[in-house]
Amino acid sequence: MSKKESNGKLRQIFSASRSEFLVRIPLFLCAFLAFFSVLLIFLFILKESIPAISCLGLRNLFFSTTWRPNVSNPRAGSYGMLAFLSGTLMTTFFAMIIGAPLGIGTAIFIDQVAPPKIREITRRGIELLAGIPSVIIGWFGLTLLVPFLAHITGSSGYGIAPASLVLAIMVLPTITTLGTEGLKAVPAELKEASVAMGATRWQTIYKIIIPAAKESLIVSTILGMGRAIGETMAVQMVIGNARQLAFSPLERTSTLTSRIVTDMGEATSVFRSALYAQALALLILAMCLILLVRFVTRSREVTT
Amino acid sequence: MRPGCFLFSWARRFFKAVIVLSLIVLSLVLFLSGCGVGSSGSSALKGKIKISGSTTLLPIAQEAAIEFSEKNPGVRIEVQGGGSSVGISQLRSRIVQIADSSRGLKGDEDDGTLVDHRIAFDIIVIVVNPDTPFRSISSTKVKDIFTGKIKNWKELGGPEKEIAVVVRDLASGTREIFDEKALGATKVKSVDSAPSAIECASNGVVREIVSSTKGAIGYLSYGYVDKTRVKPVMLNGISPNLENARVGRYPLARYLHMFTQGRPTGVTRNFVDFVLGDEFQKDVVSQEYIPVRLVERKGK
Repeated sequence: MSKKESNGKLRQIFSASRSEFLVRIPLFLCAFLAFFSVLLIFLFILKESIPAISCLGLRNLFFSTTWRPNVSNPRAGSYGMLAFLSGTLMTTFFAMIIGAPLGIGTAIFIDQVAPPKIREITRRGIELLAGIPSVIIGWFGLTLLVPFLAHITGSSGYGIAPASLVLAIMVLPTITTLGTEGLKAVPAELKEASVAMGATRWQTIYKIIIPAAKESLIVSTILGMGRAIGETMAVQMVIGNARQLAFSPLERTSTLTSRIVTDMGEATSVFRSALYAQALALLILAMCLILLVRFVTRSREVTT
Repeated sequence: MRPGCFLFSWARRFFKAVIVLSLIVLSLVLFLSGCGVGSSGSSALKGKIKISGSTTLLPIAQEAAIEFSEKNPGVRIEVQGGGSSVGISQLRSRIVQIADSSRGLKGDEDDGTLVDHRIAFDIIVIVVNPDTPFRSISSTKVKDIFTGKIKNWKELGGPEKEIAVVVRDLASGTREIFDEKALGATKVKSVDSAPSAIECASNGVVREIVSSTKGAIGYLSYGYVDKTRVKPVMLNGISPNLENARVGRYPLARYLHMFTQGRPTGVTRNFVDFVLGDEFQKDVVSQEYIPVRLVERKGK
């Protein structure tokens, strides 16, 4: 096919209104379906959690640590989710403390330091990590991390600590991949100018490259947090599934996701609705993160 | 614009669409026919059975459904969980033909029309990590441990070690019976397990955690007790075995039931007979529980 002919075909696709129509409709449907399902999920969860909110009140539901479900008579139980909310936030916090420096460090290594061969190997390794199902990472945590922690701390080994470690591994691919992209987008001229001024490689990295890529590194960390907040399987396997509020990383507790999975089988009426309220809390957390990302990226648009 | 070319490309697109559509239809047909297992059986038995109820019995009911419909390809069986109460209420409103239950009928459920088929006998055994130096625990201490009043083995005269309580999740019939018979829960007033208790979704997970965690205590269905991995303890000095449970000396025991609306008829009767049959009891039920005939025969 000659270049001229293919150009003609392209023009035909874009100018012929009927064929454009044919392309536009399915694409519009795809976008609509995605948006519609998000809306539907949100409305559904909101609707399902209303009985719990109206029956128990916001305070007893969101700001109480008393979790005493009653299966045979749901109305007699207490359904405070604060312990699990705190579990989710604590595991995510510790996971980010470990995972974010590791991920960003790996990203800098891949983009700036590593020789091409090692860079390729590291990147493939990280991509492979993203493809490992969470149940396998959870099992790894259960059989290696938990006994190890039990051995060195004298506790049972289950709790926030192994959950955070497992999550730190799981957020690594997100942070590293997005972070590498962000670093790659830093103009080469900046780096060249810095080196030309006599800066060492390390000075260039922490004075030029990292500040220039700051926003995308923050965004990658926030998106990593999103992954950590939503992770269920691996966390449920190592966190101990207790209903208490944990004050130290070595105590057992639950996260919102692991609690939903543990209890949804037998939950009816208010109990079930309380679990939906937990899902609502998760959804709101996730939305806050998305807003945070918007906020960070918008501030960049303003400054440059 | 070359109208001929336009028409041609339209025709080509049309044929493509036809091919794609027919592929979709074909795969749908294949998929649906794959789902309709046994719709063209040669066996005389034909019909449909719906079962729901206890999650404790779910594995056995599913296994029975698979084996039974393999033998009788004309019969379709749907098995669902949901819990004993759900199963019984669905049976009473005739949504299902069989209700699995890990407990007997209670209160207003027993209107005289439901027929009880005991399909297995189960003993709940309290197990500890093999490192724990106790052979017997009194029932009051068991209650204190599982409700979180006693937190350290030291309080029982053992080593300085945190007690890791391992319980089943709320959907579990085993937990229901344990809470009732060991912790004194009633239908009106439930008993809270220790706040730090590890909740597990299955017997297998309880066994795994108790065997790998020092200081752990939990409870298992009889068939899951593996003495190489966990240590069964006696309750008030009475060991959890078949003989003690049968005569009622060991309190943590129960029958597992299948209920039907009146005497079962047709394929439902064949199915219940199959579950109670020697072959199924020996090959499947005995894997996790005690075959019901073993208990009743000894009792006679």
